[in-house]
Amino acid sequence: MDESPVKQSLVGRLRDFFFRPSSLSLIAVVAIGMVSGLVFWGGFNTGMEATNSLAFCVSCHEMRDTVFQEYKETIHYKNRSGVRAICSDCHVPRDWGHKFVRKVQASQELYVKFVTGAIDTPEKFESKRMELAQHVWQTMKESDSRECRNCHSWEAMDPKKQHPRGRNKMAQGQKEGKTCIDCHKGVAHLLPKEFKEDEEE
Amino acid sequence: MKAGLEIRRTTIIAVATLAAATMLNPLEAAALDADAARALARQSNCFKCHAIDKKKDGPAWKEVARKFKGKPDAEAKLTKHITSGAKVKLEDGTEDEHPIVKSKDAAAIRNLVDWILSL
Repeated sequence: MDESPVKQSLVGRLRDFFFRPSSLSLIAVVAIGMVSGLVFWGGFNTGMEATNSLAFCVSCHEMRDTVFQEYKETIHYKNRSGVRAICSDCHVPRDWGHKFVRKVQASQELYVKFVTGAIDTPEKFESKRMELAQHVWQTMKESDSRECRNCHSWEAMDPKKQHPRGRNKMAQGQKEGKTCIDCHKGVAHLLPKEFKEDEEE
Repeated sequence: MKAGLEIRRTTIIAVATLAAATMLNPLEAAALDADAARALARQSNCFKCHAIDKKKDGPAWKEVARKFKGKPDAEAKLTKHITSGAKVKLEDGTEDEHPIVKSKDAAAIRNLVDWILSL
């Protein structure tokens, strides 16, 4: 009998590929799996890390022409000890889980960049500065200023080396259970014009 | 002819009035920008220790304005105070350097100083 080869559907071929026992040895299957896993994971992580660089953040004019210029004048950019905190140090969590969630949220920022253009001129950015700042302050408050604490901690702080005025305020803040962002707003960027300090009058 | 003379007289009066007003009120030449002054004060963390009407760790600015009222060197003294890191005495008796205002723009600093003195 003449058997003509039956052409398999795409679904069938995929099912066979994933579920039909392979003719390869177990060692070969495991080795291929490990190498592919390494390549996939390494590539994914490297890509994600690349989006954490200063160069990546300022590759958009929305950041480069506004907040980046202000940040360059602050102590987090240039200081006597030569330690720099870049955008992601303050705005992207360090641990993998929180970082992944933040990166997924950043897709909304891409939508604003490429679709709505809500902050694509310095004027539009200024009109939104308060709203943007409030989002960041809220996030920092909710995480107990987690990203600040990647570098700053009560344990590593020596009050004796602080100015008396700062020492008093820090002690008071710690006693009242405050978190960094409660007092340290506008540290690396200009404060929004609508922002008011407590008890200005 | 008569209309021409009338226009010239009106112009002379208007110019003279403007000149007199400018001479009488030198502040008018560089009007105060209170919003800009407040913004610089916030950015420089002044309100962490000062308020306008209320004494905090530092004196109320209305009190500062009262203290300097009528003194010809008020602007110079206050400018030095917020730009040089001069020593100040804190409530608990310790001494500390007064923080330096976060601007290198002389006009913006002058605006802040003049605004405080005007309170």
